[in-house]
Amino acid sequence: MRAAATGLLAILVAATTARAEPVRVVDALGRAVVLPAPPRRIVTIFSSNTELVAALGLTDRIVGIDAFTRYPPDAAAKPVVGGRLGFSVEAIAAQKPDLVVLTPARQAVHQIRDAMERIGVPTLVLTSRTVAEVVGNLRLLGRATGVPERAEALAGELEARLAAVAARVAGRPCRRVVLVTGRLGNGLLLAARRDTYTGDALLRAGGCFALAGSVPQVSPEALFAADPDVLLLAGSAAELAELAGRPGFAGIRAVVEGHAHAVPRAEFLIPGPRTVAGIERLAGLLHPAGAP
Amino acid sequence: MSVIAGRPVRLALALLACLVFAACAGHRWAGPLDLARAVAGDPDLSARLLVAWRLPRILAAGLVGALLGLGGAIFQGVFRNPLAEPYLLGSAGGAAIGATIALLVPLGLPSSLALGGLSFAGAWAATLLVLAVAQGARDTAGLLLAGVAVAAMLGAVRSFLMLALSDESVSLQVVLSWTLGGIQTPTWAGLGLLAILVVLALAASLTLARGLDLLGLGTDQAAAFGLATDSFLRRAICVGAFVVAVAVAYGGLVGFVGLIAPHIARWWVGPRHRALLPVSGAIGAGLVLVCDGLARALLPPAEIPLGLITAAAGGPFFLVLLRRRMRA
Repeated sequence: MRAAATGLLAILVAATTARAEPVRVVDALGRAVVLPAPPRRIVTIFSSNTELVAALGLTDRIVGIDAFTRYPPDAAAKPVVGGRLGFSVEAIAAQKPDLVVLTPARQAVHQIRDAMERIGVPTLVLTSRTVAEVVGNLRLLGRATGVPERAEALAGELEARLAAVAARVAGRPCRRVVLVTGRLGNGLLLAARRDTYTGDALLRAGGCFALAGSVPQVSPEALFAADPDVLLLAGSAAELAELAGRPGFAGIRAVVEGHAHAVPRAEFLIPGPRTVAGIERLAGLLHPAGAP
Repeated sequence: MSVIAGRPVRLALALLACLVFAACAGHRWAGPLDLARAVAGDPDLSARLLVAWRLPRILAAGLVGALLGLGGAIFQGVFRNPLAEPYLLGSAGGAAIGATIALLVPLGLPSSLALGGLSFAGAWAATLLVLAVAQGARDTAGLLLAGVAVAAMLGAVRSFLMLALSDESVSLQVVLSWTLGGIQTPTWAGLGLLAILVVLALAASLTLARGLDLLGLGTDQAAAFGLATDSFLRRAICVGAFVVAVAVAYGGLVGFVGLIAPHIARWWVGPRHRALLPVSGAIGAGLVLVCDGLARALLPPAEIPLGLITAAAGGPFFLVLLRRRMRA
């Protein structure tokens, strides 16, 4: 009995000691972030960061999200600390977080980091310029949150799936693709471009860019002139049908030959684990089994 | 000056009330006891946020409001036009271009520094451009027209930059929200600098008081009283442009305050600028303090852009005062 109690005590002491060890990581901005202990109350700004933390099995540690987070459902029910009209540092502080994970978009870093630093709450900034960086974010978060083994296992699994896609599309002729990610009120389209993780995903799936240049806004006329092999729309099938029904679209080769597809926005516009599923899906669309 | 005898105390009390309201207002309303505990060093995160974040912000809000009130009074005096407002000479358009670059182009500078610095530079550059186009300040109608034309050109450049530089991650909303105004919480050093600039602005403005009074009689009369109108107007516009540029650097484009604060002040203390300028500054400070508090408190956890509140809440308030005034 005494031996068991001593053993239990030893385990508790060891656990306490392990928890008390400070965690040091370097974030995407090159900042050394020191966490006194693995965080227990995490605010995740943007759906991508929420998904990454949830993918590590740490949904129960998330105490605040932004209003656009829809997935996973149990994380989406957490208190909201910001949305379309910006982020509330007061709402974040009210959750008493010991880590805020954010991304330099929509002024989040500008609005939040300085405030959190002033009250001593560490912030971890993640960026997602490539698919490799998205997977790397899992490892970074794993180290920061004290679950590096779990993160390594998940990242390794995602990398293996990416390698399988790479093997599958290797040697196949590149399909010229336009991936429409949004539409502007004036009729211009937003298209996936180089130097973004969405563009990287497209390349990994065996596609290449039908549009030259790296400006995100393109006129439909430029799209018609590019005449892509495949037209993709990040959105629903109904939205694709609406786009394909616009003047000029019905005549482009991709639409005529049935190579216009809707792909889930979540897989191509939220840089998280689901992006890998998107790459697998896209590789299947661009290079169906049996195609040359 | 007898007109305002006894009023400084009431003005100071009203400002203090606005300051306390702004300190209490927010996503979480804080009571006076919470404020006292926070100032006394309560280690709770929310209490620390009150001292480290809300306090410098509301002080900055008050100072920005004071600048807008001052700027409005100067420009209304210079142009002898009750519709004149601080952004008349293209400073808003210039500042917005500076802010657009700061927000959408990675410059490798701390964002608060880039935003404040470039918007300040943009506001100044636009005013100098208007002065150059109008060949000085002698012809105020020409100045106004040059200001309108430069503002239109700068607006087009800004819109193009916004479209060309934005993408999925850096949205137009970021620039749009800046153009709608919002107080940037400064560091304590930044707040100290702002306070010094406000004192300098007030001092420089007060040197204009007599000249602005004389201008109210018309340029010929003012010249007959010995005012070198051309050089005075140029100096007054430069002081006004400086005041507005500082306000824009710390608070973005906060509309309406610079238009209504001088009118409220004029109704209260009369048209003499020696009293009008500081009172207009104080009223501007009070208006922005209250509106900033409402902006933070009305729609938690979001924050409504300050410029929307100043127009939406300040507008009816001004109309009530205007109606009373017209009846009288």
